[in-house]
Amino acid sequence: MERKKQRARSDPGRAMLLTVMVFFFLGFFLLAIKDGSWQCFVLSVLVPAIVFFGTTVISRLFPSDKLLLALTNFLCALGVLMLYRISPTRGMTQALNYGVGVVCMILSAMLVRYMPKTKTLTILMMIGSLGFLTLPILIGTETNGAKNWMSVGGYSMQPSEIVKLALLWCLAYMLSQRKYILSILFGGACLLILMLQKDLGTALLYYALCLVLLYASTGSLLLVGTGLAGGAGAAVVGYQMFAHVKARLAIWQDPWQYTQGAGLQIVRSFVAIANGGLWGVGLGLGNAGNSTRAGGIPEAYNDFIFPVILHEFGTIFGLIVLGMYLFIVIRAVMIARRSRTVFYGLLAIGCATLIAVQTFVIIGGNIKLIPLTGVTLPFISYGGTSMVSSLCVIGFLQGIASRNAAGVDEDRALAMEGGGLR
Amino acid sequence: MAASAYELLAMLMRYVFVLLGALIVWRSFRWMSRDARAYRQEMRTLPDAGLVGEIVNLATGEGQPLPREGTIGSSWDSDIRIKDSQALRTHARFEFEEGKGLKVIPARRAYMLLSGQELRGPGYCLHGTPLQIGNTTLRVRLFAGLKVPSPVEYPEPDALLGGDSYTESWEGELQDWDRAQGFPAIPGQEQEEYVPYGTGAVPLGAPVDPYLENAEADPAHYEGNYTEDGQMTWQYAYSLQDLQRAMIEQNGASDEAEGVKYQSPLANRRRRRKRHGT
Repeated sequence: MERKKQRARSDPGRAMLLTVMVFFFLGFFLLAIKDGSWQCFVLSVLVPAIVFFGTTVISRLFPSDKLLLALTNFLCALGVLMLYRISPTRGMTQALNYGVGVVCMILSAMLVRYMPKTKTLTILMMIGSLGFLTLPILIGTETNGAKNWMSVGGYSMQPSEIVKLALLWCLAYMLSQRKYILSILFGGACLLILMLQKDLGTALLYYALCLVLLYASTGSLLLVGTGLAGGAGAAVVGYQMFAHVKARLAIWQDPWQYTQGAGLQIVRSFVAIANGGLWGVGLGLGNAGNSTRAGGIPEAYNDFIFPVILHEFGTIFGLIVLGMYLFIVIRAVMIARRSRTVFYGLLAIGCATLIAVQTFVIIGGNIKLIPLTGVTLPFISYGGTSMVSSLCVIGFLQGIASRNAAGVDEDRALAMEGGGLR
Repeated sequence: MAASAYELLAMLMRYVFVLLGALIVWRSFRWMSRDARAYRQEMRTLPDAGLVGEIVNLATGEGQPLPREGTIGSSWDSDIRIKDSQALRTHARFEFEEGKGLKVIPARRAYMLLSGQELRGPGYCLHGTPLQIGNTTLRVRLFAGLKVPSPVEYPEPDALLGGDSYTESWEGELQDWDRAQGFPAIPGQEQEEYVPYGTGAVPLGAPVDPYLENAEADPAHYEGNYTEDGQMTWQYAYSLQDLQRAMIEQNGASDEAEGVKYQSPLANRRRRRKRHGT
């Protein structure tokens, strides 16, 4: 009993989990005091409960990375909090998405943990993902210049978010089998379909994933250089072909010229960040999230959620959130370094790349570091597909971490047997 | 709640939120550094982590650690690098499969022998299985404790280096292969040729014939028995050092290579264990 207590005291996850739960209880409780809505009171208990469930249940099923779980759950719950602040309906939907995402995370972790990497599964994934990615061209709807959404049974979804996971799995498998030509062809086909959909933000993400995995697998600078040159060529072609790319580049160069038009979002984002200052205006006191009020950002719930966080919680808190993303990426790289086989190493590197590039592209776009492209902020932005795919990436990492732990146990058992040769 | 009271509360709470956020980041940092330190320490106690054994070049006596998966070839980035003019840059891939052994998949156009037989598709190596690529003969040695089918008996290298005599059974099969030229024919199947696989031993001090090329001329080197199904087994003994020397001579290796002792990457650890009596 005493030993159990001691172990609990020395467990760093316990204190961390408690801090995260207190944060969200206070956040939702504060909003509940303001609105006086029972939904918010329910969320002040429900969200910390999902955080607790998402962090502890997986680690009871099999050895997993609790730090990664705690950080991910913090960011997901922050998304629910901010979305509830912007629009209570969206907040409730996002809480549901979060719950579904946690279940998907557990399933994807179990897939990696228990499923042997099979050739048949990879071939099926390749065929399925190419077909799935083509669907929006045929039956999709155009949003913000890109035809990447489609409706199924009243629910709208973005196939490229799901295919992202299949691309990651297939590339990691094929590159681990040293099938370079096939992997380049598959990655190229996916990119081509995305170009046809004019979904350049996701295309950029896929491109970065292919390039990083190729480099991690081959170590060939020549191959990466060729890929970069090809990417630069494709960017020029995209600029010439698509009017909305030209417009976004022009806005990036000088958004103040377009304050009443397409540049409104980014200009309001700057104003919101500046108003927030170091400490923010206070939760529930800002107006950046409400597009109907003066100073409100139109896409605050989706692409521009980070400026809203900076506005209400302040720049210091924004840096803290960035630090969390950085820790998640570092942790993913650590998992990749500890993995026992090339396939799992590449899979973990791919997960790190997806999170890092997606975060950089959207936050860079928000603060005018790079031209704005329409990708979601992982774990935080509104959207069921985005939440599920981001949590599945974390599920992959959990599965690999669990395999690594099993590998260390195996090595320990071998060492106990004498460790020598037969 | 009154708007002004809420405003005051929310403005106070923003410091609490930043504090809690900073606490989470600080705890994450400490957790990560503690975990990295603990992992490094654990890896120090498990120097063979991630390995499943070693591959020994029988000509030079050089042993290379064998990871769970990787490549064999002549390129610098191969996991098992062999210096042989007939070896391709990536000659074969390998991966360890629980319960089956080391799966070796030759590259397209790669010619290699596994236990004396040409490997055209994936094949499995067990402990002691010889692999031949060009003029290089490699031998797979797996850790005790791994779940693989029982291999042929093979003595510990320490015993070999000590010069102890041992015997090892050889098995072979009928097939058409150059190296079998001059080998005794099986009664009733004279047109066939017998190819041994595995390495063997003759009495210590006896002249060594690693490829058994002079076997017919000098039958004193071995004693063979034919079995009913056309298989042949025989026993003979010599030390691994003698075998290595003979192979160096036959392969035209330089004088420096001769006399190179068998150097296992695990030898230091074994010695340390012996010294400490653990």
